Amino acid sequence: MTAEELRQTVARQFGRSLHIRTLDTGSCAVCEQEIRLLAAPHYDLHRLGFFFTPAPRHADLLLVTGPMIRAFATAARKTYDAMPGPKVVVATGACALGGVYPEDPFTHGTVDAVLPVDVWIPGCPPSPLALLQGLGVAVGRLAERVRDLPFTAPDDSERSRGDS
Amino acid sequence: MTLWFLRGIRRGVVTTRYPARPDGSAKYLPTPPAFRQRALTVHVADDLAGLCPSGALRREDRVLVYDVGRCTACGRCAAAAPHAVTPSGEFELAATGRSELIKRIQLRESR
Repeated sequence: MTAEELRQTVARQFGRSLHIRTLDTGSCAVCEQEIRLLAAPHYDLHRLGFFFTPAPRHADLLLVTGPMIRAFATAARKTYDAMPGPKVVVATGACALGGVYPEDPFTHGTVDAVLPVDVWIPGCPPSPLALLQGLGVAVGRLAERVRDLPFTAPDDSERSRGDS
Repeated sequence: MTLWFLRGIRRGVVTTRYPARPDGSAKYLPTPPAFRQRALTVHVADDLAGLCPSGALRREDRVLVYDVGRCTACGRCAAAAPHAVTPSGEFELAATGRSELIKRIQLRESR
């Protein structure tokens, strides 16, 4: 399923309500701190129609943090299988994207080695704002911005003169 | 609050927009670096790639490959080469494809 099809399916089938199951696959818990902040009044995740659920059977979206340690891979796969379709997997944080731990006998290093990831949220940790935007992207309500960002800065004329 | 409630009932929309208003705390967040191409020579790129603790930077011939997904915004590159690297101020970086997070930045011809 392509990303565009997924977006349409999610918009059609989930409407404006979505239940999230968080899955810690060996993270340092800072990502979890930021995820917990989403439910606080300042960010207020529930105004957007997102809710946390303790059971994967009730979840539409799996929010995965951590580098996917090998000891947890079976449990992660079972959690994914227990979720009813259609389902979305969101890899959260630099660990889940392969930035912090290399692949070794203890960790897979990335989440997409075990689960089919639909949305990637970078950041160490991703701030609650970044997480909200990521969830918005996951359900097709917000446009993805990173595709068009070049990550080049305009030349600071004063510094360039000193440099050359 | 009452108005908001009545408006919600009338329109049938009970959720609000993201972001309802710009967040004042956003400017204090550590953000991934942006690179000044004019200051990026092969040497600078090699230095930065050797410095990056998460392997987000890599040099491929005349291109600096920057994996935003791996970047932890630690700021070591910006501290080591402030003339070439500056915080980008971007934090809303969610992507629907892993390859969209990998940026290829052309290096300057060095003399």
